[in-house]
Amino acid sequence: MKTTRVTARLAGLAVGLALGVSALAVTRASAADTPQKGGDLIMLRAEQLRTLLPSQPTDNASIWPIEEVFNTLLVPKQDGSGVAPSLATSWEQSKDGLDWTFHLRHGVKFTNGQEMTSKDVKFSIEETSKPSSPFAFINAAITKVTTPDAYTVVIHTAKPFAPLPADMAIFANSIVPYDYAGMTPEAFSKKPIGTGPFMLKSWTPGVEATFERNPNYWDKGKPYLDSITFKVVADSNTRANEVQGGQAQIDEFPAFSSITALQNSGTAKIGTYASSRVDFLSINTQKKPFDNVDVRRAIASAVDKNTLVKVVLFGHGKPAGAYMSPSSWSHDPSITGYPYDLKAAKAFLAKSPVPDGFKATITVASGNSDQQTMAQIIQASLAKLGIKITIQTLDPSAAYDAKQNGNYDMGFSYDTTDIVDPDEIIRFTGSYDGGSHGLYSFYKNKEIDSWIAKAATLNDQDARQKIYFKVEKAWNEAQPLVPLFYTPELYAYASNVHDFHPFVTGNYNLADVWMSK
Amino acid sequence: MLRFLIRRLLLLIPVVVGVATLTFMLMHMTPGDPARTYLGDRASPQALAALRHQWGLDQPLWRQYLAFMGGLATGNLGQSMFFHDSIVSLLAIRLPPTLLLMAIATLFSILISVPLAVWMALSRGGAVDTAVRSFNSVAQGTPLFFTGAVLIAVFSLKLHWFPVAGYGKTFGEHVVSLILPSIAVALVIIPFLIRGLRGALIDALNSEFVNFAKAKGLSRRAIWTHYALRNAAIPGISILGIQVGYLAGGSLVIENVFAIPGMGTFLMKGILNRDFPVVQASALIFALLVIFVYLLTDIAYGLFDPRVRVK
Repeated sequence: MKTTRVTARLAGLAVGLALGVSALAVTRASAADTPQKGGDLIMLRAEQLRTLLPSQPTDNASIWPIEEVFNTLLVPKQDGSGVAPSLATSWEQSKDGLDWTFHLRHGVKFTNGQEMTSKDVKFSIEETSKPSSPFAFINAAITKVTTPDAYTVVIHTAKPFAPLPADMAIFANSIVPYDYAGMTPEAFSKKPIGTGPFMLKSWTPGVEATFERNPNYWDKGKPYLDSITFKVVADSNTRANEVQGGQAQIDEFPAFSSITALQNSGTAKIGTYASSRVDFLSINTQKKPFDNVDVRRAIASAVDKNTLVKVVLFGHGKPAGAYMSPSSWSHDPSITGYPYDLKAAKAFLAKSPVPDGFKATITVASGNSDQQTMAQIIQASLAKLGIKITIQTLDPSAAYDAKQNGNYDMGFSYDTTDIVDPDEIIRFTGSYDGGSHGLYSFYKNKEIDSWIAKAATLNDQDARQKIYFKVEKAWNEAQPLVPLFYTPELYAYASNVHDFHPFVTGNYNLADVWMSK
Repeated sequence: MLRFLIRRLLLLIPVVVGVATLTFMLMHMTPGDPARTYLGDRASPQALAALRHQWGLDQPLWRQYLAFMGGLATGNLGQSMFFHDSIVSLLAIRLPPTLLLMAIATLFSILISVPLAVWMALSRGGAVDTAVRSFNSVAQGTPLFFTGAVLIAVFSLKLHWFPVAGYGKTFGEHVVSLILPSIAVALVIIPFLIRGLRGALIDALNSEFVNFAKAKGLSRRAIWTHYALRNAAIPGISILGIQVGYLAGGSLVIENVFAIPGMGTFLMKGILNRDFPVVQASALIFALLVIFVYLLTDIAYGLFDPRVRVK
């Protein structure tokens, strides 16, 4: 499934640590360590950087480097409870709830020497609001941006819109210079000018990109590193080997199977961070017999989530209940999903129009051994209900296509989020019109849709939470998808790397990272 | 010779047109939409339409085909959809590592196979002969990625003789980085080459012309270099030519294991992204590489064997 980046920030670090990963040391700097300047850090990644134009990317491989080059008005708070100042030092909502005023930090300079002002902010937000931007939906509530003076920006919305501050903390609303400092967007994406801690030094498309310290970064004293290099290494074994061999410092997404070996190597540490990722067994509810709720409940009851966590995540995760991640304040911990119980599964199926079972396929992406394994485990369980599963392997792009066109029975999907407000992700996966037809379940429920729409207009978080709990309960009853597990975010990194702490939304925060020796 | 070369080069035209057409058809027939793959789940219909228009995917297929072939004729391979860069400039990054890998692997194959085959032919049935033949079976049965992983574990992680992976920055670093992957690839070629050379050498040594040379009183050394080896070289070159052709395919695997930014990883990613221009250009380059190697093989025949020398 594509990396679906939506918005919702979460009350999460604590919950994330409770994801059954407490045994893995989250190696924050040990006591009395003072950050040192200098060092060239190499991070290995499976995917390649495609563009540095903030309004364009949908892939993490581009998004996360963009967050090192540019700043946003606000940033997610470390504990996930909301947003904190960045280029805006303070902000307030008008009494009628329709205007948000942001006060900009003074004296911030772009790397071309120009001062950052409200004109740049207005331009940046309007660029991402254009329909050609895949993240235009994030600014859909905005009707107008005005600039009363050089350091004040007012954002108007048609209806009161609580998630707006969180939307100003997403990479897509990064602040670029007005009119891309006279460049075309294409030229700018290759020679970006930002206010962030690092600036682009060299870039070989598909191979590597190096960013060096911005000497005039407004957050004085930071960043510590001289440079960071993102290198593409597709093979997870090779990434792990390079970190062990000292050729690189950070391995993004080590394979779960390699964690133990990496921990025992003595040269690498494993960092486990709260993530917003939830993995699902997708069901195409448009197709018979999956349109029947008892069939879906039978399937949900026949999926042994504990085994999946053990086999696929090697124990580094937690079986899922509610469809919202525990890293979000919208997550209802009382929902535990359908427990693995073949008797109950048979009882559900007996109530359905296909009491003796049926034939169906599970579509998996080629080269994804996790999906293959999960499909086989689920195939074996469903066989006991008389449901005969054929596993169909398609290459990733074709599998994605099949899902989008509703041309599949069952498959695997996941969602992640880019912002600290649950609004976007709860729509994305729960609502038919949320962007992916409910993560390609094609499930329609007018009540759920109207509750979600209502919650976004409320400013009181407790009131919103109550509604979200209601949404998750109704969704859980219907099981348009089977939530499988909550997946933590893992990084392997060299022992001399300190203060590496990615957010729930994925931001690397490399400005805080330093290397000893 | 010149006419031979011109004829062979002219023959390239139908091959290029054929490969280009076939790749174009296959890529457009495969399900999977590049715009969707690029923009992800949240893209609005407008954003998708705009991108399809920008990439020319909203044109009828025949027009896209004509545009592609027209570009090809003028040496314009188009733009990569995903890198926003011209294919030619991307190939300038991607082609050298693969060529260097193929060259070093070929060199290793020859340096290892020829002496071993000679030794085996001299001591037929002896310990060396048996040992190398058993090694051949093992080497042939080992998948490339596994050989690569074992070499990394031993020579990079344990002994620290070579970098774990990557390509380095200077030419010297490039060569050092490519030694392990070249050995891994050579190990696929060597068994075929040794077997072919050994058999051909034994045949040559048993032949009438060698007996005649002996009868003439020629030195052992002269018989080996001028008669046995020279005759055995011909099947050896055929095998090497075919195997180096396969090497192009092997680069897909080995470049992935060693994180070498070459043609193999470029094509692989291009296919997964449905980056049509990248796939079309890479397939063409691989086809041209194979043809070029076969051409070299043909020329080499002429050098070794006056009987097939082209007039």
